[in-house]
Amino acid sequence: MPYILNTEKDIQEMLAAIGVHSMEDLYAHLPREILISQPLQLGSGLSEQEVDEYTKKLAEKNTPIAGFNSFLGAGCYEHYIPAALNYIISRAEFNTAYTPYQAESSQGILQAIYEYQSYICLLTGMDASNASLFDGASSVAESVLMALRISQRKKVLIASTVHPEYKKTLQTYLSGLDFITTEVGCGEDGFVDMQALCELSSDEVACIVLQSPNFFGLIENNEQLCAAARSKGVLSVLVTNPSGLSILKEPLSQGFDIVCGDGQTLGQEMHLGGPSFGFLATKNSFLRQMPGRIVGKTVDTNGRPAYCLTLQAREQHIRREKATSNICSNQSLNAIAAAVYLSLMGEEGMRQAGLYALNLTHYLYEQMKEIKEIRFPFSSRFYNEFVWQIPNAQKVIDKLYKKNIIAGFYVGNFYPQLKDCVLSCCTEKKTKEDIDSFVAALRETALA
Amino acid sequence: MMERKVIFEKSSSGRKASYIKKPEITLRQAEEILPKDLLRKEVPLPSLGELEVVRHYTNLARLNFSVDTNFYPLGSCTMKYNPKINEKIAGLSGFTNIHPYQKEDSIQGALQLLHHLEQMLCEITGMKRFTFQASSGAQGELTGMLMIRKYHRIKRNKKTKVIIPDSSHGTNPATSSMCGYETVVIKSTPQGLVDIEKLYNATDDSVAAIMLTNPNTLGLFEENILKIAQIIHEKGGLLYYDGANFNPLLGIAKPSLMGFDVIHLNLHKTFSTPHGCGGPGAGAVGVNEKLLDFLPVPLVDTKRNKFYFNYRVKHSIGRVRGFYGNFNVLVRAYAYLLRLGSPGVVRVAQNAILNARYLSSKLKSYYQLASLKPSMHEVVFSCTKQKEKGISALDIAKRIIDFNMHPPTMYFPLIVSEALMVEPTETESKQTIDYFIETMIAIDKEIKENPDIIKNAPHNTPVTRVDEVRAARQLDIRWKKNGD
Repeated sequence: MPYILNTEKDIQEMLAAIGVHSMEDLYAHLPREILISQPLQLGSGLSEQEVDEYTKKLAEKNTPIAGFNSFLGAGCYEHYIPAALNYIISRAEFNTAYTPYQAESSQGILQAIYEYQSYICLLTGMDASNASLFDGASSVAESVLMALRISQRKKVLIASTVHPEYKKTLQTYLSGLDFITTEVGCGEDGFVDMQALCELSSDEVACIVLQSPNFFGLIENNEQLCAAARSKGVLSVLVTNPSGLSILKEPLSQGFDIVCGDGQTLGQEMHLGGPSFGFLATKNSFLRQMPGRIVGKTVDTNGRPAYCLTLQAREQHIRREKATSNICSNQSLNAIAAAVYLSLMGEEGMRQAGLYALNLTHYLYEQMKEIKEIRFPFSSRFYNEFVWQIPNAQKVIDKLYKKNIIAGFYVGNFYPQLKDCVLSCCTEKKTKEDIDSFVAALRETALA
Repeated sequence: MMERKVIFEKSSSGRKASYIKKPEITLRQAEEILPKDLLRKEVPLPSLGELEVVRHYTNLARLNFSVDTNFYPLGSCTMKYNPKINEKIAGLSGFTNIHPYQKEDSIQGALQLLHHLEQMLCEITGMKRFTFQASSGAQGELTGMLMIRKYHRIKRNKKTKVIIPDSSHGTNPATSSMCGYETVVIKSTPQGLVDIEKLYNATDDSVAAIMLTNPNTLGLFEENILKIAQIIHEKGGLLYYDGANFNPLLGIAKPSLMGFDVIHLNLHKTFSTPHGCGGPGAGAVGVNEKLLDFLPVPLVDTKRNKFYFNYRVKHSIGRVRGFYGNFNVLVRAYAYLLRLGSPGVVRVAQNAILNARYLSSKLKSYYQLASLKPSMHEVVFSCTKQKEKGISALDIAKRIIDFNMHPPTMYFPLIVSEALMVEPTETESKQTIDYFIETMIAIDKEIKENPDIIKNAPHNTPVTRVDEVRAARQLDIRWKKNGD
């Protein structure tokens, strides 16, 4: 029997020690009515070889993104991941351990998470980071709940340019609670409408959630937006792509109070969108309202440096119904992978990746500009993705798909008013050849 | 011992390992493309070589206990063996290198997997449908409880309270609060079960649901479960099943037959996916007919022999995360179930109970059992006898580390004083459990003979006992360039 070590002899000895005769006796005290009377229909079990062969066939029914010339981004990005990363995080002492409750036998995990927290602070400029959350969407929800606790106010503003799935998630998280969420629209240029933000901000509003680069790839006027919010005592929450922070200004200096987002761009495979991890960083003054685990550095009884989980009095296992969040397990292994990724890439590697993505995306944009059927509804102040418009965009996307090109994300799926708009992305993985062949195919399709 | 440096202290300016290729286009500086005031001046990251990074993290890995290296009987966490074939499968590029917004025709294998996994979990639990969006048990609870909330709202039921036994996981009351419900705590009987009379008295028309773990956190099966279901259902409430402890019921009993309306299963516990230092996990949430219309979107369905994402759910609560859940965790759970099949799952449950019960029968004369009721997959001891002699549950836990085993869960459930909660899981051998038993007996002996060795434990770890009070008082939660 797979994964069971007890032999028939062991089992008999153990049953005898317990004082029962059979395995069934072990649960004879369960009510009859709830027991399964017929064998389950789960098959008879497969050999490892069969499982291997069967699942391989299943995997082959999927076309990896690498099999396309893909310009898909929209919240999940294809980056190069150094080979050493998978090697490190596959180590059993990371992969098969649990939350480091016992500090003395988990110093490596704790230090790695402390390093992760430090990395998030270095990238965002913020003072404090937790040990990770589930993903970008839930990190937004947790950030908003945190802002509501800090401010004790009842209203939430969220920019319409925040990832629509994140907005939807926030809505779900708040659905049981007594808060009002209002969307702040964007102007025709794709940026958050400053005037609307000013009008909607008031002393009843807890926070404004901005995304920059926003869902359309645009880099928002963060400093002005934060200043406008601050003047009404409204906290500013930023949702961002952490890899973009290799070139974009650190959020703390722009006036943000809480920074969150999805860490997928820091060394995580896409695997259909999960697992990656959510991050959340804030200022010292708010750190006690942060949800989730936090690792701190301290000393052992001999005065040597040591690490442990800290500020646990905020958490559900201690505070129960008064906890800052119900989160228990997070995405530690993904967070540790991010620390390893940033260590491998280093200052220069991250800067290069950011700069290459910026250049390649703008190169694509310049090339597309040559095609007269294509319009650009928004500003060119973008990082690694941008929106373009073409008549019959969905047909164009389908035609290109037949040529093995994924042009990007059809924006109309989320914003019905943005008809015929496509969001395309380049990371450092794209080449000039990829872009040129995409543009050539696009030109051909547009002419047809 | 040399002080372990943090990675940042190993940085040498100028050292680098370049991993990415330079594009064959004319590169412009960022300032030439974007306004300067949007750009940062420096990227304060370290500069390291690959060997340094690999050695650093490999050495950090070596400081940890894990299932692959140590017996890890952490109660309520089900630290069973994580089969390696699952890792191999989860690493296939057809599963790792797929984008959530790829066309459905290019991810049919992934969708088929999700669909089949859902069917298997329905078969195991008797529930009608599952959603895989939740990334953990706690997020599964939130998903389930928000469905309950919306169910009552649509039915115009005035519900304000959620009943939770005092033995519950902390996530239950925390989730209840996140859903805007008032938590009503029911005190357990002296034997650690739900007190039926108290439950009856506490249940009125304002009760939205009861959140129940079964077997509960004392490792006991709530034998009055059908009565509990009747009491709650009669008042129009629903039953939420916290599946943290589902392992001993796998293939033996179904939550649907117990009367549960919505359940979550921790795939990282019962279904063998690795815990990864505390995540990623996956909380599969299953519902019966009552809550079908409230599931998060999308679901995976079939149309003309094709799998697709179905966003049409009448009263859907929406979504609790981006995309579709921790897909690569689901791949592992799926491979596990394929391998086990029907006979395999029953053996899991049986051996999980066998191991725990055996351990309990051998240790009960040394350590007081929290309950005399028969334990299921885990056993909770109360170290009060030891505490009277000056040795706490914490001391014992730390001493266990010296014997190369991870300690059990300590001080939980909260209703047991000096609790040690031991969950051996089915994947451990009698020999390993015997070693644990011998160790526990030896520690009990040490209390008389050499208590200091326990109080000063652990002795062979990279650090001795850690000053947690100082950690909270003199907060240092990140590295800074020039110290503090």
